[in-house]
Amino acid sequence: MTRKYIALPNGVSEKNFDAAISDFRRVLGDASVLTSAEQLAPYIKTMMPVPDADHTPSAALLATTVEQIQGIVAICNQYKVPIWMISTGKNLGYGSAAPAERGQVVLDLKRMNRILEVDKDLAFALVEPGVTYQQLYDYIKEHRLGLWLSMPAPSAIAGPVGNTLDRGVGYTPYGEHFLFACGMEVVLANGEVLRTGMGSMPNSNTWQVFKWGYGPYLDGIFTQSNYGIVTKFGFWLMPEPPAFKPFVIQYQHEEDIVEIVETIRPLRISGVIPNAVVIAHALYEAPVKAKRSDYVSGPGSIPDEAVYRIMKDHKLGIWNVYAALYGTQEQIDVNWKIVTQAFGQSGNAKILTEQEAADDPAFAYRAKLMRGEMTLTEFSLYNWRGGGGSMWFAPVSQARGSETLKQMALTKQILAKYGLDYSGEFIVGMRDMHHIVDVLYDKTDPEQTKAAYQCFDELLTEFSARGYGTYRVNTAFMDKVAETYGPVQRNVHKTLKKALDPNGILAPGKSGIR
Amino acid sequence: MKKRKLKNLQFGFALAIIFMMSNVWSAQEEKNNTGFAWKDGAEIYTKICAYCHEAQVGPQILNRELPAAYIRAVVRNGNRAMPAFRDSEIDDESLAKLADFISKKEAQH
Repeated sequence: MTRKYIALPNGVSEKNFDAAISDFRRVLGDASVLTSAEQLAPYIKTMMPVPDADHTPSAALLATTVEQIQGIVAICNQYKVPIWMISTGKNLGYGSAAPAERGQVVLDLKRMNRILEVDKDLAFALVEPGVTYQQLYDYIKEHRLGLWLSMPAPSAIAGPVGNTLDRGVGYTPYGEHFLFACGMEVVLANGEVLRTGMGSMPNSNTWQVFKWGYGPYLDGIFTQSNYGIVTKFGFWLMPEPPAFKPFVIQYQHEEDIVEIVETIRPLRISGVIPNAVVIAHALYEAPVKAKRSDYVSGPGSIPDEAVYRIMKDHKLGIWNVYAALYGTQEQIDVNWKIVTQAFGQSGNAKILTEQEAADDPAFAYRAKLMRGEMTLTEFSLYNWRGGGGSMWFAPVSQARGSETLKQMALTKQILAKYGLDYSGEFIVGMRDMHHIVDVLYDKTDPEQTKAAYQCFDELLTEFSARGYGTYRVNTAFMDKVAETYGPVQRNVHKTLKKALDPNGILAPGKSGIR
Repeated sequence: MKKRKLKNLQFGFALAIIFMMSNVWSAQEEKNNTGFAWKDGAEIYTKICAYCHEAQVGPQILNRELPAAYIRAVVRNGNRAMPAFRDSEIDDESLAKLADFISKKEAQH
């Protein structure tokens, strides 16, 4: 620990860091280069079960222009100072705003927050990294553009650039966000500015409407990566439909997940249900309505018997399938008939619409997410255990009933071993499911924190041993997940890294890439 | 080893050229609008705090005459599950307005 800085980048002397900081100040001005403990405090807090000291930054830089970022990367190359890029910094449960490695300098792009264009006719937006969903939502409302957003549950305080670059998902028909990305501007480690796709051509007006451009498609290598700094980002927006019908289908037995998935898959693939459907376990929804302490006390995971009491008391299914229909009323009427017939066949499903469930707080926030309205109600999850500990365990599953049952049972078994609850949901893609489990624990309790770390490690080990890959992970486990995808992919990632960032200044460690 | 040094030199040279030339795209970049700025404490409360603190996710914080210094400390450091908010999200001046808004008595809202 040095006196002048709360941390130093790995392998950088204090003298060299002094020089780098001085140069950063020249580019950004004194007020935009943060080095004191007080200024850096908000960058340190994470929800991960590791010491905050492991992820303490040495400084934070508040850049607002491409030219400033070009200046920053030049300085970083000169002094071999690594930077960790954040946009809104609200990747909660995945590492928040803290860098992957102690001593990295955070390049905070939150103030780079201009909405550059929203095209009503072609339904696209071009924004900078610091734009939040709330900001864009307000802009669209103010200008009466009739467009809907798709965003993750931390909606208002998160933003489309960071979420999409980390390949996050939302809950509308545009829920697989990277599918709807169209054109990026990227500052490379050598200071060059690349515009991907049609953006590379001077005077092109198709940057945000045609994704592919000419030659190899490059946008993908700037997601979940550290090959460049995305400074502008284009994506498609959904035209507001004339009608919207959210609904929930409840089931009473965990084994019913097989029937649910087998029923949904054809409806989802054919587009009858167009949105990213969520199959939420009772314990994912319970925190909106119930307190854990009212049902169980002491150590250990919550027993099934208590979960059934929660379901009964709070009108929840063990599985709660949230989906919606979008379109004209006529289209919705036709599709509703197909949906109710499909789910009605077995007699196991209880179907509720706004008519029956509008006042239900769980239904209300899910309906908001499915129509791109701002809500942070899902944060109720954090009250379940309390203490601010959370990691998203996010394996991918086939959209096949037998697979989802296997994944759920394995997750529940491993969590129970460490005294933790299964707060899980499946977000249904076309053919895949993001199995999302909030590993909740009390970070103020050292024993539970240790158990949470070991539990997460075992989840990754056991899932990868069975061929179940993780799509996204917090910064404490990125190397472990990268390892599960095998040496050839890691080598390719490394080769690209060396070619694009030979000094390794951009976010070393992101997705296990150095 | 030598090869590596040479590569780094070439890289540095490329950097120098790029900065000398400036950049085609950034030169085209028009400052057609300025970035986002908060209007007042009420707006910040409505568009950040209220989503939890008016939705039974976080505790009620209005009308409790919470000290402004306490509010500023919690916003900057977070508290258990509540995330910390950085100066880049809510600048010091706006945070002072927010703290003032939250700590006021009910009649003044």
